[in-house]
Amino acid sequence: MHVLKSIPIIALLIFSGCRYSNNRTTDEISDKVNQITKAERFTLEKKNGWTEIKIINPWQGASGVNQVFYLVKRGTKMATLPDSSSVIFVPVRKIICTSTTHIAMIEALGEINSVVGVSGTNLIYSPEVIKNVNKGLVGDIGYDANLNKELIIKLSPDLIMIYGIGSESTGYVGKVKELGIKVIMNADYLETDPLSRTEWIKLFGALYCKENLADSIFESEVEKYIKLKKYIEQNISVRPKVLLGLPFKDTWYVSSGNSFISKLISDAGGDYLWRDTESSISMPYGIENVYLRGLTADYWLNVGSISSKNEISAVDQRLNDLPCFKNDNLFNNNKRVTSNGGNDYWESGSLYPHLLLKDIATILHPEVFEDHELVYYKKIN
Amino acid sequence: MLLIVILLILDIFLGSVNIKASEVISAIFNNSNSNYETIILKFRLPKAITALVVGVALSLSGLQMQTVFRNPMAGPYVLGISSGASLGVAFVILGFSSNIAPESLNGLGNWILVVASWVGAGAVMLLIMVISSRVKDIMTVLILGIMLSSGISAIVTIMQYFSNETMLKAYVIWTMGSLGNLTSGQLNVLLISVLAGVILSLFSSKMLNALLIGENYAGSLGLNVRFARAVIFICTSILAGSVTAFCGPIGFIGIAVPHIVRIIFKTSDHKILIPGTILMGGAIMLISDIISQLPGSESVLPVNAVTSLIGIPVVIWVILRKRNYSGSF
Repeated sequence: MHVLKSIPIIALLIFSGCRYSNNRTTDEISDKVNQITKAERFTLEKKNGWTEIKIINPWQGASGVNQVFYLVKRGTKMATLPDSSSVIFVPVRKIICTSTTHIAMIEALGEINSVVGVSGTNLIYSPEVIKNVNKGLVGDIGYDANLNKELIIKLSPDLIMIYGIGSESTGYVGKVKELGIKVIMNADYLETDPLSRTEWIKLFGALYCKENLADSIFESEVEKYIKLKKYIEQNISVRPKVLLGLPFKDTWYVSSGNSFISKLISDAGGDYLWRDTESSISMPYGIENVYLRGLTADYWLNVGSISSKNEISAVDQRLNDLPCFKNDNLFNNNKRVTSNGGNDYWESGSLYPHLLLKDIATILHPEVFEDHELVYYKKIN
Repeated sequence: MLLIVILLILDIFLGSVNIKASEVISAIFNNSNSNYETIILKFRLPKAITALVVGVALSLSGLQMQTVFRNPMAGPYVLGISSGASLGVAFVILGFSSNIAPESLNGLGNWILVVASWVGAGAVMLLIMVISSRVKDIMTVLILGIMLSSGISAIVTIMQYFSNETMLKAYVIWTMGSLGNLTSGQLNVLLISVLAGVILSLFSSKMLNALLIGENYAGSLGLNVRFARAVIFICTSILAGSVTAFCGPIGFIGIAVPHIVRIIFKTSDHKILIPGTILMGGAIMLISDIISQLPGSESVLPVNAVTSLIGIPVVIWVILRKRNYSGSF
């Protein structure tokens, strides 16, 4: 679902020159504060006295859906706005987040105490938030249709940030909106480029009136990522083949070639087995098909929540015969997890893609990164 | 019989990976040790055998249920076997795993879901048997069975309502059915159970014929009706229960196949219907499996959807062609 509504994005597409696909992770670093350079799913525009944010097609398969908000600084005189019902007063003081990626970005801006509610406290990794949960300062509002609306009212947040799994998600929050609470749909997870996801920190920057800090975090990340990517390109000679995921019964959901993880693997000097596929979602493939290609894989990554080879065998014994399994080239992204299953890969991983890149590059090219200790990934034995 | 063999071979030759016929043959007969050999011997062969066995078991238990209840809409799941099994599986996927991801559930092994669904199906069957031994009228048993199923489904719905996306997806995928995930040990267990069920049902053909004229008349002919019911219920539990445990609830085959067989063979004699159903059930399930693999494309369809999509038009066609069909009951 490519919505090319903003000119900077089109410009980037034109100037991008990646070997594998329309990878926009390249080159130009914007020096203009508040300009969105990489993200496709939101825009941010400074107007006279307020900031307009627009969320574009916030769920998978949405088209022509835009959410517009006007951020007005507290204490300033209200300008004449196109729609006063979409005003959010900033800086935001109390927020409810439904995705852990939101938490990582808020934490990076030093505003973690503004988080008063989350969806699923057990999925949180951030020690700070867990501390607040234990102190009773953070409520668990539940999921989707089971949103605890009474708790939401009790927490009285300035806004709720949700991520939509479909148009029906808007239905779940209709009632909440009716109560006058602002609901922003965060579409960061739909961004297929690693740096585009990171750019969503600018949205939080605007919400907390910390635009400059957000900008510098993003720019520093872009710089590190691009520098690392170039270094990898210059120092590798082969591109090992990479298999991803696990089957469920006889179906194997395969991430497409234009997915976030596929781009990371490509940038890390790997050859993802399905890099040529184009789909906005994971596709259900027959297990024999994936298995046959999997036989050629050198490395196998992102195997769910598995921590040992025995667990893989228990899923399907036939997987034991894959060469990447036999050769112990099996790595998973669950090094930083809490005992409840909160995984930092899904939390701060989106904010620091250069660390993900370095991890994957170290796995695929250990000779190039001899000193790097893996951050999010671990070897599965 | 020949049709079955042809379909079995076709099922092995066609899959989501395109493999040339010559390579399939060399994979089977020469120890070529190629990658294709792995695909053929470890993936397609067990899956084809599973499809055959599943088709036989579900069709046969469907036939038995239709006769016992003298109801054309009855099927293997009418007594609540599938809802019992779903309850067992729902407990594992949606209940106990609230703190763990479905993949680590896989880590506990294939057997967990199998045992859970077996226990669930068995518990429901046991309850039905107890009711059936105390209730004289078979229609009462049918109604209680349906009520029980609905009640259990409601419990499962509540559990689904309170689970998150990943758990829900794992559960929904289970309900879609799958044929290709059995280990060789599991396939052996399935084969033995179904074989036992088939033998038991061959012996029951006389009882089924007698039941066709109604339980009262059958009783006056000297049939011990409650004993016959018990034998047939046990037989169905073994057949449909094992299939559901290993492959999930696979729909429609059990209802459709007996009708197709009745019309093709133009008889209601179970000495013909039982072998006919065994063959036809196996054949249709193999066809469904071939279609679900979408030969030529990389993707696959859930087999459960395919059985319904090919079963429904066949049954409609068959019934519309023969207007006085209900006379067979």
